[in-house]
Amino acid sequence: MATRRHFLKLTAAAGLAPAVVSAQGKARVVVIGGGFGGATAARALKALQPALDVVLVEPNPVYTSCPFSNSVLANLREIDQQQFRYDGIKGAGVTVAETSATAVDAGAKTVTLADGNKLAYDRLVMSPGIDFAWNALPGYDEAAAEKMPHAWKAGAQTVLLRRQLQAMDDGGLVVLSAPANPFRCPPGPYERASLIAYWLKIWKPKSKLLLLDSKDAFSKQRLFQNGWAELYPGMIEWVPLSQGGKVTSVDPATLTLTTEFATHKAAVANVIPPQKAGAIAAQAGVADRTGWCPVEPVAFESTLRPNIHVLGDAAIMGGMPKSAFAANAQAKVCAAAIVSLLAGARPQDPIVINTCYSLVAADYGISIAGVYRPDKGQLTDIPGAGGTSPLDAVGGLRGQEALYAASWFRTITAETFG
Amino acid sequence: MHRALLPGLASMILLAGPATAADAPPGASSCTGCHAPKTVSDTVIPHIAGRKAEDIVTVMRAYRSGAWPSSVMGRIAKGFDDHQTEAIAVWFAAQPE
Repeated sequence: MATRRHFLKLTAAAGLAPAVVSAQGKARVVVIGGGFGGATAARALKALQPALDVVLVEPNPVYTSCPFSNSVLANLREIDQQQFRYDGIKGAGVTVAETSATAVDAGAKTVTLADGNKLAYDRLVMSPGIDFAWNALPGYDEAAAEKMPHAWKAGAQTVLLRRQLQAMDDGGLVVLSAPANPFRCPPGPYERASLIAYWLKIWKPKSKLLLLDSKDAFSKQRLFQNGWAELYPGMIEWVPLSQGGKVTSVDPATLTLTTEFATHKAAVANVIPPQKAGAIAAQAGVADRTGWCPVEPVAFESTLRPNIHVLGDAAIMGGMPKSAFAANAQAKVCAAAIVSLLAGARPQDPIVINTCYSLVAADYGISIAGVYRPDKGQLTDIPGAGGTSPLDAVGGLRGQEALYAASWFRTITAETFG
Repeated sequence: MHRALLPGLASMILLAGPATAADAPPGASSCTGCHAPKTVSDTVIPHIAGRKAEDIVTVMRAYRSGAWPSSVMGRIAKGFDDHQTEAIAVWFAAQPE
């Protein structure tokens, strides 16, 4: 094997892509899901190993980004600024199958598509994102989401929630329900509360936002709470779990949310429901009883099914949060690892970074970062690294971090979608 | 400090040969989530591909020690030791702008 690795290194150095072959001829990697994880993985695989046959399975011709979609709610952006097509990925040599995956057979190493085709793979990358656990919160099903939008998959739901906010009378009560951990984008509900308050303060200043939470602590908590006190005094009321914040049922007909202690009638209700890995993960056998997908920390290969790698929000990534930055970073590590594995080499132990900005107002940004490495079978925080923005901002730091957030979005969407 | 570092960098460049993306050292691939190639012009985050390795190392050390103020970079630089930082710097120096 050492000899083969040496040979591969030599051919790479000579500018010749080492041939990757399988029993079927050219090796094929199928990627399910065209978000920040899957689209990045598909591009990175092709860039690292042009000889690979890379197929991206994604039913939507247009991807709508969740990052920065809270700014759409606050009228700071339009939904089309959140949208990206797959032309750049096709141009990079990836085959895009515009259909959904209906079944994965881990034993036969095949993916069945909704259009009737079946794809054989050497390695499969699954980046299916999240699905909602409908009715895990009694009363909240797909029909209820049309009355009480989740807006936790960006697109029509984002536009619906914005329309409801705009139609609300000044003085109306906006109620936001945040789920227990784990869920997509841990600081997201609190950025959303911030930006809705930002918009209410301008357009409906008599209104208030009630944030009912199934947790007693949240990401960047002190930074958010300091920002709320500074920018929106009295407008946002956060009710933690221990004070009866957990919503136990909802009634979409009357827009009421019931907690252990009280019933709240909303003018606009935004219910962020409990979540799980995208449905195909359970079908493939890579999700465990939690609904999420355990993986090893080097190539992010499923610990339940061989030759299937799981990325992004769907995966259990140790200390790494479910963020777009994390999915993109994991995808690049996974792609390099798959290229090594297909060449018969052992992938190197990775270091993976997460960075996540949140907006408290249009020009007020805060951040969290972390650096992770494999330790005792999972991705673990490197001690001494990472953390949040300082509580005392000096030298225009909040404004600077809002600018960095906007730059980050342009960069990561360019890298992911081209 | 620099005198001690540079021979190390030079030998790493010789050993690494022409860098390919697959040879990226641990941590390097995460950087491009924020640090874009020059084709992305509308950004306040610096381009790092094609920069001199010793300049990247100097800045990362200053971030790590806190001598150079930053937002996230101080927190990220603390996750990498000298050897890892040098490997990443050499790799980015060899990347096209």
